[in-house]
Amino acid sequence: MHIEQLNLKNYRNYEQLEVSFDDKINVIIGENAQGKTNLMEAIHVLAFTKSHRTTHEKELIQWDKEYAKIEGRVTKRQQTIPLEIVISNKGKKAKLNRLEQGRLSDYIGAVNVVMFAPEDLNLVKGAPQIRRRFIDMELGQIQPTYIYHLGQYQKVLKQRNHLLKQMQRSGKPDKVMLQVLTDQLVEHAAIILEKRFTFLKLLRTWASPIHFEISREREELEIKYQATIEVSEEVTKEKIETIYLTKFEEMQTKEIERGTTLIGPHRDDLLFSVNKKDVQTFGSQGQQRTTALSVKLAEIELIHKEIGEYPILLLDDVLSELDDHRQSHLLNTIQGRVQTFVSTTSVDGINHETLKKAELIRISNGEIVN
Amino acid sequence: MYYPEPISKLIDSFTKLPGIGPKTAVRLAFFVINMKDDDVFNFANALVNAKRELTHCNVCGNITDQDPCLICQDNSRDNSIICVVQDPKDVIAMERMKEFRGKYHVLHGAISPMDGIGPEDINVPALLNRLKDEEVKEIILATNPNIEGEATAMYISRLVKPSGIKATRIAHGLPVGGDLEYADEVTLSKALEGRRDL
Repeated sequence: MHIEQLNLKNYRNYEQLEVSFDDKINVIIGENAQGKTNLMEAIHVLAFTKSHRTTHEKELIQWDKEYAKIEGRVTKRQQTIPLEIVISNKGKKAKLNRLEQGRLSDYIGAVNVVMFAPEDLNLVKGAPQIRRRFIDMELGQIQPTYIYHLGQYQKVLKQRNHLLKQMQRSGKPDKVMLQVLTDQLVEHAAIILEKRFTFLKLLRTWASPIHFEISREREELEIKYQATIEVSEEVTKEKIETIYLTKFEEMQTKEIERGTTLIGPHRDDLLFSVNKKDVQTFGSQGQQRTTALSVKLAEIELIHKEIGEYPILLLDDVLSELDDHRQSHLLNTIQGRVQTFVSTTSVDGINHETLKKAELIRISNGEIVN
Repeated sequence: MYYPEPISKLIDSFTKLPGIGPKTAVRLAFFVINMKDDDVFNFANALVNAKRELTHCNVCGNITDQDPCLICQDNSRDNSIICVVQDPKDVIAMERMKEFRGKYHVLHGAISPMDGIGPEDINVPALLNRLKDEEVKEIILATNPNIEGEATAMYISRLVKPSGIKATRIAHGLPVGGDLEYADEVTLSKALEGRRDL
């Protein structure tokens, strides 16, 4: 799939912008603070209805304006689909095929986007919650019921934590109620874990060979799922439930003492290791970057497998951070198959053949200059 | 905006009703002023009387003007089955069906530790007393199919289990007369889970 046309109105520093794109590689060039990332962000918002940079949606609306509008024309399976997002003080409206979608979840997925930005290094380096959010976002894109179970899990978790806190304070435990909430929690926890395992198996099959190649066959990437229970990834949902229940029983006294839920998917993590060494702790900056890149490239393949088309790739300010070999590997992988947006301050440092054929879009102060 | 005090008081009162915002409240208040005196008087009386004459039934907790309520008094009803619901409105919904001939028990809420609502804060202790005194064979747990309703149903069923009384839970799945294509993913997956032999 690819974006043919993008129109912005009152979006960040773009008062009015109409731009059409090449279906292969588009290089967005501009000095700092001219609106390169804003353009990338607009495409991200068009896909997910959310920004990757902020949760305050008002920031997306230009100063003094009532609303911001993003329109896009996306080609998917030889068909052109118009998309529209309007953000105002009253909230967000998403239109697909010119029809307003009541639920945002009906809209998301109309266009698939994979983004690789400097912050993505945190996928390897950062806190566990960043890795959990990564899994949740990717799984949510391909499996709508996953979001439901995750939501239910978080609700039960909140209830259970409150109950544990009350028990901790009052000292008189209502064990029946705790057991009820534990059962409810485990029901969703097992489904979440099972779905995450399946997702991980897929991710590995793509990420490991990609990493091997980018690192010139020097590094072997392994991705491990670190759960709060001891469980093999091959077991059934029912088995996972039993293991959780036993573990919760063991932990009961401790949980009441601490007044919070101590095990479950909300405390799980992903462990990346290169040549058997933990990348998060022992990896070099370059290894961490390659790992994040491999995972992102694997994501492209994963989406291709799930929906039958390649997503759109956004590379925000990262190409210049990669060495020549990694750059050309990246560009070779996507060549001709994936519509890609690359933002950079200048093309000088990038010598790849592909870029010479690319469409150049020069941006200055919220406008296109050519 | 300046309103004479009687009107602003009336507006304030209307705002307290669910689904009524400030603008609608103003509209309703001015409408009331132009109504016939008798109508306004009857209206006010109806409001006061509804509040004054209705109480909660001592047996089942439903709202009623007689204690015990008409359903609890009705001898033709089956005493051995109790349907547990969250809200008096749920009783009305069940009664519309005209098929259930057992008794009811209204909880007035669901257990939610987050909001500080424990089993003692809803009508659960009264239910347990009822189960001890009356000859009940089955309780049907018809709480709402969300996290809190589900937890409340599970909680009650565990308390009841040792006494040998059957506890059942109403089913969830596709609405009757609807189209499969309009069902959301979660309802569909629940319906699939609860499929049965034909």
